[in-house]
Amino acid sequence: MSKLLIDVGSTYFKVCQQSGISQYFRDFKKDIYDDLVTKCGNIFSQYHKEDVFICSSANGGLSTLIIGLTNSFSLKFAKNIAFNSGINIIDTILYSKIEETKAPLELVDVVIVVGGIDSISNVFDEKLLNYLQKVQYSNIVYVGTHQDAKFLVDNIPAIKILGNIITGKLHVNETELKEFLTNLYQADIVGKEDIKHLYELTSNQIYSTPYIVNRSLPLIDANFEVVNPFIVVDIGGATTDIHYSRDLVRDNILTESEYDRLVFKKLGVYKSRETLVFAAKNNEFVYELLSYLNVTENILEEESEKALRILMQLSIFLVLYKVSRLNPMYVTLHLELLKTVVLTGGITKVLSYEEVETIIVFFYKKVMNLHAIPTIVMDYEYAIWTLGMRNNEARS
Amino acid sequence: MKKVVTGVVGNDIHVVANRLIDISLQARGFEVFNLGVNTSLEEFIDAVVETDADILLISSLNGEAEGWCRDLQFLRSEYSLRDVVFVIGGNLAVGEAKQSDIVPKYQSYGFDLVFHQVDLNTGLDTLEAYMKERA
Repeated sequence: MSKLLIDVGSTYFKVCQQSGISQYFRDFKKDIYDDLVTKCGNIFSQYHKEDVFICSSANGGLSTLIIGLTNSFSLKFAKNIAFNSGINIIDTILYSKIEETKAPLELVDVVIVVGGIDSISNVFDEKLLNYLQKVQYSNIVYVGTHQDAKFLVDNIPAIKILGNIITGKLHVNETELKEFLTNLYQADIVGKEDIKHLYELTSNQIYSTPYIVNRSLPLIDANFEVVNPFIVVDIGGATTDIHYSRDLVRDNILTESEYDRLVFKKLGVYKSRETLVFAAKNNEFVYELLSYLNVTENILEEESEKALRILMQLSIFLVLYKVSRLNPMYVTLHLELLKTVVLTGGITKVLSYEEVETIIVFFYKKVMNLHAIPTIVMDYEYAIWTLGMRNNEARS
Repeated sequence: MKKVVTGVVGNDIHVVANRLIDISLQARGFEVFNLGVNTSLEEFIDAVVETDADILLISSLNGEAEGWCRDLQFLRSEYSLRDVVFVIGGNLAVGEAKQSDIVPKYQSYGFDLVFHQVDLNTGLDTLEAYMKERA
């Protein structure tokens, strides 16, 4: 019997069978399980639980605050590992300035504390404890010199101690922290009561969608007209993910995979619409972009088909802007080397090729000062997601 | 065992000299953290902080160190690195320059020992003597 693949997004369910892909708009009044069974109950009845594979990106993405000893080592290493584990960094704090630094107002999903090689001690002291008292967090992990681990365990409840991410030769040791963050991200998605319920429909592990899309990347050029280096931009209702070839990052320090990903939790067009509009209004290019699209800023407040299209165009621009050299907070991609932009997710159901091209032309002209743009590939049928699911299923 | 952070500052790729310094320091019993070529001053300082090193030994062969090391005092003050010995050596000027001009200039930047066109072993002998005297 063939397999049934389901992607639970924050706005749509995507259902893939042998006969093709169909999608269903979510009913936000119902929980995910009830909604899915109401809409696809007859489909589920045709499959055994072991033939059903589910991934979810509903409200995905965790936030982190990183406290580190230096910019060049602790913070740089931890930032890279966090970004590549699908975590949003809300702030980084240099330990020498911790007393002058304000604590974030929002709840932080995970605080990462890092600093020093294992042969040094007494890096962290009361200053850290005083600062942490002001921070609201759900998890805290320590990945610095092991000689300070006892002090932290004795003074910080529920702190998780992992191997130092800085080796004795000042190189990065990503393994333990990356696994911890990836599991936390995975647990955040599948641990939601709504998602747990879905195990009544499948006997297989439920994965996060960004993980599944990332798994498809090595196969992507065999299935699409894609030239390396490329990026895949997955714009959905709650989050926007960008997956990129390592070739676009000159100083990347991680080595395990050829592709990395970033998850932008607040750049979705439905569930995080307000934060998307906020990010847009604070971007120096956006008013010029709106004028280029022949609309005024009032469109951002409207609830119309036209407004949705403009928001989607803005999210393409903002995600490219966030990984460009103008925004050093995130990983900087060398977009001048980019050969192909692949768009997937809900955006491909709304925007036309020409509308996407308009934005990419604007971005390259204004931000990159280039007239040539990369090739644009639209994944209209969510084929990238099904490719990743099948690849993952074949591996497991 | 004394810890030394070393490397070549700025846009300078003289990797052979860098390796020779690394090997010589190890042979003299230092624990070496070699950041290699093309290293910025901030990375050097950060490596000293992360390793709690006793010595920072910067080398430069293309003469551009002057432009790269001017902020040393500022960066030192960021992390109260009072006990660290700062050393620079190699060819420290572009074109002809007198030892008597170069040494005070780099000392004013915050270096404790300055070796302009001094051979490696002489420089390291001086460093060891300096460390012994401080102890």
